[in-house]
Amino acid sequence: MKIPISHRSTQRQQRLFFLGMLVLFIPCLFYLDLSYGQFASGLERIPDMARQMMHLSFEELPKMLRELLTSIIIAFLCVVLSVLISLLLAFVVARATTPNRYVSAALRAMIVIIRTIPTTIWVLLAVASMGFGPMAGVVGLLLPTIAFLIRVFSDQIDEAGRDTAEAIRSVGGTWWHVVCNGLLPTLLTGFLALIAFKFEITVAETVILGIVGAGGIGVLLQGYISFYEFAPLMLGMLLVFITLFLLEMGTNLIRTKLAGKGSK
Amino acid sequence: MHAEAATRQRKAKRLASVALLLIAFLFSIWYIRFDWIAFVTGIPIFIRFLATDFFPPNLSSVSDYAKPVLDTLAFGIVATCFSALIGSAVGLMMARPTTPSGKVRVALRGIVSFLRNVPFLLWASLLVVLFGVGSLPGILALILFGSGFLARVYAESIEEIDPDTLEALDACGATYWQRLKHGVFPQFMPGFITWTLFMFELTIRASAVLGLVGAGGIGSKIKQTMDLFQYGKTATVITILIVMILAVELVTQKIRERLI
Repeated sequence: MKIPISHRSTQRQQRLFFLGMLVLFIPCLFYLDLSYGQFASGLERIPDMARQMMHLSFEELPKMLRELLTSIIIAFLCVVLSVLISLLLAFVVARATTPNRYVSAALRAMIVIIRTIPTTIWVLLAVASMGFGPMAGVVGLLLPTIAFLIRVFSDQIDEAGRDTAEAIRSVGGTWWHVVCNGLLPTLLTGFLALIAFKFEITVAETVILGIVGAGGIGVLLQGYISFYEFAPLMLGMLLVFITLFLLEMGTNLIRTKLAGKGSK
Repeated sequence: MHAEAATRQRKAKRLASVALLLIAFLFSIWYIRFDWIAFVTGIPIFIRFLATDFFPPNLSSVSDYAKPVLDTLAFGIVATCFSALIGSAVGLMMARPTTPSGKVRVALRGIVSFLRNVPFLLWASLLVVLFGVGSLPGILALILFGSGFLARVYAESIEEIDPDTLEALDACGATYWQRLKHGVFPQFMPGFITWTLFMFELTIRASAVLGLVGAGGIGSKIKQTMDLFQYGKTATVITILIVMILAVELVTQKIRERLI
């Protein structure tokens, strides 16, 4: 005899989930009408492309490194400026410290809208209004970065700062006292971890910004792709990979270090 | 006395990091020839551009956008299903408790990390070169990126499951498949569902930008209208996009609440 051990209704719902996936999947596949011929002819081109990619040439390396640095700098400037602005606004948005509830609600709604639009679209808009170049990259990234930072900062303020804010207010402290003396010093470590995390994401984003025309290594990569120069493209992709990988490790290190400090 | 020295040291450290940050900042400004005047005047230009050229949204051809919206949703569903399938196979081989061998695990980790760390738009434009313009490279790019992403998060949630169950099954002499079926899957299911739904949200966002490199979806409408300077229409498309993303987020949120 078999004894059922799993929870019946959970199991039924999970089956329903998979069934739903299948039911949606099949008509969508037919709707898209993907051609197998296109797929096969694309696959045939892979070995040739791979062969070209294997001829790594280091001719373009200095140029690439320069552009890579530009990408990182765009991300850096953008994060620094966003931190300055969002630190101020986060205290206005956070429910625990907001001076005015309606301002907070309005800003919150704006943040939702800004965050919903993908970053790449923002940069595209900035490029359309300001022309090509790193400046458009910084401006385009600024809004989504600020929105993200305000969101996470204000979440943290709400989570940790309610009691502190109330305590300072009850002894007659002003808004500036609450923010500068009460909350900023305690929350700074947590903020630093978030900033490091955002910096990592922003660098990944600036790399692709070139594809929509906002400076940095993406411009070079896009050029290689459109002129079928796969050898330097491979080098560029490796460079990007190494940079992002090192950054990921670096931010992980910062996070564990900060977490260790916080618990002490 | 000792505490004072420690405080002084900490202060010096803080001062040093602030100075370092300042130097990095100044260097950056010098390096990309950052023009403050252009920046300060640029932001109002950007905002005025958004406010005057985009409003009011041009609603004249809303019916044209039904097809890209459907395309985008279909992209998302097909890509999510394929990625879930590939991602779970790779994830199972990548997670410590279920990997067939340590070497496979390390090799797969390397490949997946490469897939994830090369930006998505780059994969997409590479695939457009390989497969030509159309929805096929878009789907493939989503699958490529999604499989890498899902494999990683699936593997992480498999590694989090309770090792005692697996040990008990091992002690009973369970085979690899019995172990998976009775030990791993039941505990892995909530993670699987959460991440798969999240992946679906991601694909909707991603297909917005896929169109920029010629890989179909609603992004192609954004690019098309912007290239023709029909910013009013662009505003409409972006509004549709926002509504779509929020709606998908709402639906997946509801499903998640029901299932978990």
